[in-house]
Amino acid sequence: MTTAPLTTPRSRRGFQNSRRHLVFLIPAAAFMAAFAVYPLLQLAWMSVHDVTQATLNVPGWEFVGLENFIRGFTAGESAAAVNRTLVVVAVVTTAGMLLGFVAAIAMRTSGWWSAALLALMVFVWALPPVVNGSVWKFLLAERGLFNTVLGALGLDTLPFLYDPQWALISVASVAAFAVIPFNALVFRAALMAIPPEVFEAAAVDGASKFQEIRFIMVPAVRGTTLVLFVLTVVYGFRSFDYIYVMTFGGPGTATATLPFLGYLQAFNRYDYGLGSATSFLAVVGVLALAGAYAWTIRREERT
Amino acid sequence: MNFHAGPVAIVTKLFFTVLYGVPLLWIVLTSFKDSADVFEPSSALLFEPTAQAYTRNVNSNLIDALGQSVAIAVGATVLVLLISVPAAYALARVTHWSVTVGLIALIVLQMMPQTAMVIPLFRLFGDWGLLDSLAGVIIADAALLTPFATLLLRPFFRAVPMSLEESGALDGAGLFRTFWLIVLPLARNGVLTISSITFLLAWGEFLYAVSFMLSPGGYPLSALLSQQVSAFGIDWPGLMALAVLTSIPILIVFISSYRLLRDGLTVGAVK
Repeated sequence: MTTAPLTTPRSRRGFQNSRRHLVFLIPAAAFMAAFAVYPLLQLAWMSVHDVTQATLNVPGWEFVGLENFIRGFTAGESAAAVNRTLVVVAVVTTAGMLLGFVAAIAMRTSGWWSAALLALMVFVWALPPVVNGSVWKFLLAERGLFNTVLGALGLDTLPFLYDPQWALISVASVAAFAVIPFNALVFRAALMAIPPEVFEAAAVDGASKFQEIRFIMVPAVRGTTLVLFVLTVVYGFRSFDYIYVMTFGGPGTATATLPFLGYLQAFNRYDYGLGSATSFLAVVGVLALAGAYAWTIRREERT
Repeated sequence: MNFHAGPVAIVTKLFFTVLYGVPLLWIVLTSFKDSADVFEPSSALLFEPTAQAYTRNVNSNLIDALGQSVAIAVGATVLVLLISVPAAYALARVTHWSVTVGLIALIVLQMMPQTAMVIPLFRLFGDWGLLDSLAGVIIADAALLTPFATLLLRPFFRAVPMSLEESGALDGAGLFRTFWLIVLPLARNGVLTISSITFLLAWGEFLYAVSFMLSPGGYPLSALLSQQVSAFGIDWPGLMALAVLTSIPILIVFISSYRLLRDGLTVGAVK
């Protein structure tokens, strides 16, 4: 792209328009203020009030300060939910990043299999989470496909969705399964951007496949990895679809992560104040992650 | 170039093909099974197919749910386009403090847990008369998807050469004419990409639908599916048939926009 020959002050960086163009931002600003920012303020407001099913749409809630938060940690399960969230984030991020990268390397080669596999994975990614969640609930059922295969191999069946520990790992793994195609797609694009000459030179030097990965591909996707890492952490943190569909937070509350616990408290136990407090903690967690993301992007754009 | 697939690459591809192919295969196979065959290992692959699960499920309730799904997904897509297309253009083209604030706000809002948004929205929609209405679900979905769509679209507008706009301005075209006649056609692929992604995500969204629609009569397909799967004593063939029916529109959108999705997602994903 050539730079514009016009030397008006506003085109000095090549992509600027006048401030009149800010009028294009108005619909989005108004809409998001009303239906996203204002609700978030409402959530914060509800978290410091006593709000129940009966008082939800009645003005004049009783102010209770931090009582909802304290109740969440003493009588509720906020601390346990934080731990569960960390487990889910760890599983989703580790599996999502590693397997996404491995899949990208495998699908870098040209050929019908790579193309078909990529299309298959993107299609599964595009399916509604309820569809993926339903089939995994079926595959992991007591007598589902996984346990049938284990039985055929002479092994003990596993309580994938019935044992508290297994259930948490299962829902986290399915969430990872759903994010791997996206990560593979992004990694693959970064790998395709490596000039072919680099691989030719490596071949001349007699580099092994492993050395190609270690010394060419891994460094080449570094920037992508950083950004994708934060996105995957956030995805794992906020994911609730598979929990809702596969376990609904159970058995007991074994799979109630922080965002899902807030939902349960509000919509299943009708304690909207407590649910708001728990959800507010989740929002604070996201704000911290967003800060990390902005920092990563700025660093990447500078280099 | 050394593009020959080694044994490791073949094993890896086989692993992923099985991992993503088997669930799909199982949805379809199970939907054609009789309830008695579902957990019978001997009839895992070989069984007498029956379309009973489909005939049992296709009734007026399902048609209603399909109608709700179409209305919600189309409505949310149109609303998201109306909001995010102009916003992405301004964010791509103007240098001003408000643009920085807008970008940060979109990144943060994109990351918000939906389970946290549903609580205050439920309360506010109650006040605003938006509960149990299509408009409420469409607005909530649009608010959920607008940040993602706008951020994805922004690089497409940045790729349109500024010089074209300047010549438009020199020819006397105004702000909106320049945008409509010159910029938008060149960012066409970006707009199509976010249209199909928004449609796919809105089609699959179920938490807002389940929470804001006060009776199952108003549920879209995704919400119906979410209620059946968590019900006690699941009718698996019926559930899988419902999953297949829910996925058919996804397949159609996917086939018609696969190239755009494959290339467009990677453009916007890490920008």
